[in-house]
Amino acid sequence: MYNYITKTAAGLAVAIAWAVSGPALANDDIAAKLAEMKPDGFPSEVIEINVVYPAGGGMDLNARILARVFERITGDSVVVNNRTGGAGLVGHSYIASQAPNDGHTVGVIANLVFADSMIRSEGAWSYEDLDPIAYLNSDGLILVVNSQGPMAEKSLAEIIETAKSEPGTIRITNVPGSMYEYMIEQLESETGASFLKVPFQGGAPGVAAVLGNNVDIAIAFLGEVRSHIDGDRVRPVAVSGSERSPFVDAPTLNEVLNTDDVVWQATRWVTLPKGVDPERRAYLAAAFIAAAADEETQKEFQALGATTNMSYDTPEAVAEHVNRLANLERTFFENTGRLEN
Amino acid sequence: MDAISGLVLGFGVILTPENLYWCFVGSILGTLLGVLPGIGPLVALSVLLPVTFGMPPVAAIAMLAAIFYGASYGGSISSILVNIPGDASSIVTAIEGNQMALNGRAGVALGMSAICSFIASTVSLVFLSFLSPVLAEFAVRMGPPEYAALVVLGLICTLMMIRGSILKGLVMLSFGAFVASVGIDVVTGTQRFAYGSVNLISGFDLIAIVIGLFGVSEILLNIEQIFQNKPVKTRLRDLWPTKKDWKDSAMPIARGTGLGFCLGLIPGGGPITASFMSYAIEKRAAERKGHRFGTGRIEGVAGPESANNAAVSGGMIPLLSLGIPGNPVTAILLGALVIQGVQPGPMMIQQYPEVFWGVIASMYVGNVFLLLLNLPLVGLWVQLLRIPYVALFPTILLLAIVGSYASNKNMYDVWVMLGFGVLGYGLRKLEYDLAPLILAVVLGPLLEESLRQSMVMSPDGLMIFAHRPMSVALLSLAALVIGFSLYSRFNRRRPKCTII
Repeated sequence: MYNYITKTAAGLAVAIAWAVSGPALANDDIAAKLAEMKPDGFPSEVIEINVVYPAGGGMDLNARILARVFERITGDSVVVNNRTGGAGLVGHSYIASQAPNDGHTVGVIANLVFADSMIRSEGAWSYEDLDPIAYLNSDGLILVVNSQGPMAEKSLAEIIETAKSEPGTIRITNVPGSMYEYMIEQLESETGASFLKVPFQGGAPGVAAVLGNNVDIAIAFLGEVRSHIDGDRVRPVAVSGSERSPFVDAPTLNEVLNTDDVVWQATRWVTLPKGVDPERRAYLAAAFIAAAADEETQKEFQALGATTNMSYDTPEAVAEHVNRLANLERTFFENTGRLEN
Repeated sequence: MDAISGLVLGFGVILTPENLYWCFVGSILGTLLGVLPGIGPLVALSVLLPVTFGMPPVAAIAMLAAIFYGASYGGSISSILVNIPGDASSIVTAIEGNQMALNGRAGVALGMSAICSFIASTVSLVFLSFLSPVLAEFAVRMGPPEYAALVVLGLICTLMMIRGSILKGLVMLSFGAFVASVGIDVVTGTQRFAYGSVNLISGFDLIAIVIGLFGVSEILLNIEQIFQNKPVKTRLRDLWPTKKDWKDSAMPIARGTGLGFCLGLIPGGGPITASFMSYAIEKRAAERKGHRFGTGRIEGVAGPESANNAAVSGGMIPLLSLGIPGNPVTAILLGALVIQGVQPGPMMIQQYPEVFWGVIASMYVGNVFLLLLNLPLVGLWVQLLRIPYVALFPTILLLAIVGSYASNKNMYDVWVMLGFGVLGYGLRKLEYDLAPLILAVVLGPLLEESLRQSMVMSPDGLMIFAHRPMSVALLSLAALVIGFSLYSRFNRRRPKCTII
């Protein structure tokens, strides 16, 4: 309790100080600190932020918001580069094994890198070749049903019951070989239910299918389904994040299933290739952490529906979190026979 | 809010100097990028997306949308003048359009292409303004079986346009299907024909294939002619469409607009499919009247150009009303809206009426800009033909390389592009028609995905197609097309008649 009060008081004091001095001064402080940390002769060229998915998608928007703020607070030039192909594999393998590690090449990536590293890279590179430096946000998968369809009145628990008593009758959208598939598999193995998995090439086409009553449950990220939730066209039945989403009125999967390890969310962070000069690494880490914590960035991330977390404020904390996620995923792959023990 | 007051609001928003300026800039940029082979709306939008972050929402989307439909105007210019499609949706425009240019009617082809692009876009925009919510509802009811049936119908219709040998056409169709199947399996997620290569996992990039097959091969063919001392002469006789041209084009414009708009509504349909189907229909219609396609018929320009522009406007409906992007370009527009804090979807008209109607109004305005830009410029574009080939061809080749690199930033795509260029050259020398090849590359994955989704969904196999009224209707239509074509083929006994 005491701790809570001091924390609140400290927070209030910071807030008041900030309100009095104004955001400009706070930004100036950060800019001054970064200017001091900036290594001599760095950056000598444009810093390239690599995004392994196409322009306009969730990852791309995150990176572009970050890039804009990074430029503002550091004065360095940044370019966002969509290095797409192979559903992310081309870009991941580039950052991990080909990108120059002089600090001018950065990646904004998500936990999807683990599956690429553990399963698809065939040992050519590993996520351990990457050096996480700043945390951005996370975004849980959401399960929705049509508000006017046959599932309109049912809770997820009831739907699961049906999928147990009449296996293969509940149609659910799936993106093969991705987090969507892993989530459905874990749902099935936890409950003994069996779903009819209809394949789609992403969340958005699946949402269209649930709107047209061509499937019963669609799985999508908030950005892909938010307007339909707001418009009461679909109803969320669960989110698969580690905690409830402030934007969605639905329980977590763990609450529904009485479990604690059913978490499938996109977690995004900034990474360098391994082996960047320590001085440059420290500068980039400080700058990207400051850019991610910036008021403008936080506002934009929330507009995208992402959940932010300010507690990963050093590269070490980010790396620890990333490794924890990697280990969870490795355990899942081992349990499902995708990886050998 | 009804459509009229919505449009009044929209025009009120767009008719400010700033918004008009950005809409104008977008129109010019779009046309220019459309003219350059390889650099299409996709590359332009992904490069310019960050520029729009600081702009107000309507100005940003008005500019990006103008680039999208402007490119569709511009793409036909290089198709007609140098037989190199500026973007994938103007591939078929090159067939008759370039022939017209060789007959000295480049100006007419360019003028007609701009005019029918304008008519088609404007008519589709009227539909968009008044019927958007209803049409969006209809489009969303289409499930995998309906898609599969629609693609089958599309494939059957376009089979009619195979030129020359039937056997060679079918070989190209199969080869295209094979090319399209390289990559990740849509149902199981396993790799096909990848042989452990990171690059092959993503398959072949459509842009790289188009630039190579049509752009590079054209350059190679022309260089050969230069070496044989047979310079390609393009004479300039007429610049403006005659009364007869108008008469010939009226129906193709109407049909192309209707077809393009409907296909644009459906995710995955889009401008490319629309232009191909329109060409097939016009070819059929012209031949029934005894006109031979391949000789520079204006119907072959008017139909497809109307279709692809109508499809661009039609494609805005699922984007704005449902938040569902039908192709990669509208996906970027969606991203641009989201980053502006505007979530497209069923709530958009209520939540952001000024953005929704402002964007629609900007499209009316942008199309007027494009018409005003393009008509006087016809003369200037035609001057391009006076550029000596020693300067023109290396420039186009350079642009082809930049264009294929720019979409993924991967040298592999440049090799794919050059490989398909050499392949296209060889195939054309051997008198294979490239249209069925590219068609299979575009439609193959759509058919595969929707067919396999239907099979997964169906409890009793193929019967799913019989249970759903719309798929029954579409498949019956396809059967009718086949039956009718066979009937007329056997009745007329014209040896020169093409496949169906």
